[in-house]
Amino acid sequence: MSVEETIKRIQSQKGVQGIIIVNAEVLICNAGIPIKTTLDNSNTVHYAGLIHQLVMKARSTVREIDPQNDLTFLRVRSKKNEIMIAPDKDYFLIVIQNPSE
Amino acid sequence: MSYTAAKTRKTTLRAPARGGAGGVMTSGVLRVNRSTTTKTRSVYASASRKSFSLAADSKVLLKSSTQAAKHAVQVLDETGKDVAPRPLYQPDPGTAAPKQGKIFTPNDTTGGNVSDFFTTGFLTSNASFGDLFTRSILGSSVFSRSIAESDEIEDASSKRDRFMCITDVRVRKDDVKEPMRKDMLDQVVRLYLTETETLWLLDVPPNFVSVDSEEAETVRERNRAYQELCKNRPGNDKYTDRAMQTLSGAPKTKEVQSERVGMVDAGDGTIARPPINNGSPAFTMALTFITATMATTWDIYDSSCNSVGAGEAAPTPSATKSDLEKVESPRAAEGGGSPASAASHSTTSNTSLLLQNLPPLSERPASASCSTIEMEVTTVPAIDEPNPELILLSDKFKMDLLVMERAVLANIFQPKLAAYRHLPVLKDCWTSVTAADCCPDPDVQQLQLADEVKTESLSPFLECLWTFRCDITAGRNISCMAWNKKNPDLLAVGYGPLDSNDKKPALVCCWSIKNPVWPERILHCQSDVTALDFCASSPSQLAVGMCDGTIAVYDMKSAEATHVSDSSNSPHKHTGPVWELKWINQEKGPSGDDRGETLVSASSDGRITKWSLQKGLECVDLMKLKKTKARGEFSLISRQVPGLSFDFHPSDSSIYLAATEEGNIHKCSCFYSEQFQETYGGHNGPVYKVTWSPFSPDVFLSCSSDWTIQLWRQDLMTPVLGFTSTQSAVHDIMWSPKWPTVFGAVKERRVEIWDLRASILDPTIVNEAKPGVTLTRLLFATQTDCVLVGDSDGGVSVYRLKSLTMDEGAEHVKALQDVIVSTLASQL
Repeated sequence: MSVEETIKRIQSQKGVQGIIIVNAEVLICNAGIPIKTTLDNSNTVHYAGLIHQLVMKARSTVREIDPQNDLTFLRVRSKKNEIMIAPDKDYFLIVIQNPSE
Repeated sequence: MSYTAAKTRKTTLRAPARGGAGGVMTSGVLRVNRSTTTKTRSVYASASRKSFSLAADSKVLLKSSTQAAKHAVQVLDETGKDVAPRPLYQPDPGTAAPKQGKIFTPNDTTGGNVSDFFTTGFLTSNASFGDLFTRSILGSSVFSRSIAESDEIEDASSKRDRFMCITDVRVRKDDVKEPMRKDMLDQVVRLYLTETETLWLLDVPPNFVSVDSEEAETVRERNRAYQELCKNRPGNDKYTDRAMQTLSGAPKTKEVQSERVGMVDAGDGTIARPPINNGSPAFTMALTFITATMATTWDIYDSSCNSVGAGEAAPTPSATKSDLEKVESPRAAEGGGSPASAASHSTTSNTSLLLQNLPPLSERPASASCSTIEMEVTTVPAIDEPNPELILLSDKFKMDLLVMERAVLANIFQPKLAAYRHLPVLKDCWTSVTAADCCPDPDVQQLQLADEVKTESLSPFLECLWTFRCDITAGRNISCMAWNKKNPDLLAVGYGPLDSNDKKPALVCCWSIKNPVWPERILHCQSDVTALDFCASSPSQLAVGMCDGTIAVYDMKSAEATHVSDSSNSPHKHTGPVWELKWINQEKGPSGDDRGETLVSASSDGRITKWSLQKGLECVDLMKLKKTKARGEFSLISRQVPGLSFDFHPSDSSIYLAATEEGNIHKCSCFYSEQFQETYGGHNGPVYKVTWSPFSPDVFLSCSSDWTIQLWRQDLMTPVLGFTSTQSAVHDIMWSPKWPTVFGAVKERRVEIWDLRASILDPTIVNEAKPGVTLTRLLFATQTDCVLVGDSDGGVSVYRLKSLTMDEGAEHVKALQDVIVSTLASQL
């Protein structure tokens, strides 16, 4: 199963609004560079920048409680949709879904 | 500085005593002036105003007239009293002598007639302040002249004296027009001084407070305080007069542009990387420093872990003190002594990723050089900027994708999965997943409407949760299904053609409950799959039996299933399709030393074979299924009967049942491979499946193409119960792992759930298949009350048994035995 196919499959699921894969490093001038995205660029950059901060905070929280622990998955459920984030050292995988569509 | 700031005054009218010459103007005592009624105001207001210029020196000028002003103003109030303000200053007529005036107005030209003189204001709030005059120029004061004529002034004349001395009148005479004559000296010169109108330069109206009001007291207090202040003011060292002037230079506009300030996230351990890497170490360093301003617990942990791991130099945290400047120069980096920093700095031309942590501040000795940033430089192995492509291909990413896909699907399928796992369905805005998405059966959709309500009146039914189906498997026939022994969420499904006309390539898919949309593993086989089983001891191994007789064992752990071994090269491999394949855990094999799991297969060539995996697959025949009765010439061709199914006894692993194509069921033992122990003949057609009851050790069930399902007890040669519903072959049966009296059966067009406690004549639940689709396989889920049905269209549907009323007695084995006993009793 290739990565491309999996991403396509996720994209085709019900209610998935977008998939974003961004670089995790925050450059001095930019936010993360999107490696792959199905949203438009401005939205992508917007999401990437905001989610980066959130993930940093969440990771810091988890590790602060127990330094041997680490964050693996983060889900933010809101009224309109759900943002699921799989963070890593090098990248963030972000999926935005609204299953009630 | 003006004393004319608004002062509250009493409204008592001081009726100035009339001067002999009638009311004369008083000089600028605002208060007095203003203490009159508005009538007086209007009088003054009508005076014309004239401009004047003041000299810089501070001379208070007063004009005194030696005679009554010509323009005496008479002010009368309502009662006819003369309330014309009296002059403050009334100089002694004899003493005042006109002197040369230093100040004059430009438009004052009359030789001896000084008509326009202005006195600088000195103000007091009342006449008692008369001794407080200063010589200062009050720039915004009211100017007026005072003509003291009347000898009745409000206050003591001593003040007036002082008043007088300041008020020298200087009159400037114009150029002499005629030469002075000697006799003129003795002339008496008469000077007529007149008064001009009062020029108001500042008019600050006072507030008047009635004596009776509440504020009167405070007003009086304030006035008193002010008088005190004024008394103290002259000669007081606290007050000096000083003139100031701020010289402001001319402004000049200048445009400035600075370089953009780089912002770096601080406080959260973010790594800042330079946008360009021009190879200059200093530049790299300058831009690549971390500004984690907080030493978090995990930061400390990370750095201690890394420093222990990297360990080139002796990692002493206190020795790694280095300034920012030092860090910036690669030379100092070697001497920095921080672990692995030397290595990193020597390769700074490539370094773009540095993880730097602040050491805990508490560890530092009192070297409180706060200005220097002390850093312990630890490095992640200096890698280049992670290639985006590499990221996409990394394993971690694939795992993340997997989890993400499951999360997304969990959102979509949440009600179904929750129903499967007996979890509460989350009632939020997202439970509008319609039944049409998952359930292919239109009949069941009707029943699903009432699915949340468990009513007794509702007859048991099968609720379709979802179907494992995807593009790859569409159109294929399910030939076998097996649960993973270790992970009850994993299901292996074998796809093979229903008949040999289908030419689709063989396939095995491993599905997970967590992902109903796409299989976890896809395995292509060389020929059609007819039997499957997961191994119990090594749970990732899957044995696959195929149509051409080959048995292969795969390891499904990795993403690509790896082939462990197969029997295609074995000399004793089966020559016919392998119909049943099972991993058996034998405590004691025939040779006495077999322990662990072995693979047993039954095939069309009439052999039941045991395979072991020591070196390749080696087999030992357990049994050869011989024909039990000769059938004429058939017996000459082959004496062996295809074995379609077998089942080992749940507790005694040496006894097993073998079902043959000729309709017999043989009870065999592993120790005796030559003959059967028992033969149960009751079916008229090939027995497709035989299975022991998991609860009752004597009872087993068999199904056949003669439309019947037979319930046997192993000591009786004839079946105890037979179950017939429709006239179609029964392809598969299975006991329910939960309830002893329940079993499921799959006929060609329907799936039936039988409950022997409820009825032995009819199935309890019947579910019809979709038109065009035949159902082929049945599997009960072990931990939930769900049943999986495989069909010929490549879909495995998951059904939930609903409203199957089971009370306490249903759990007992006795229930089954009761049924049998009662049946037997009734037969007798």
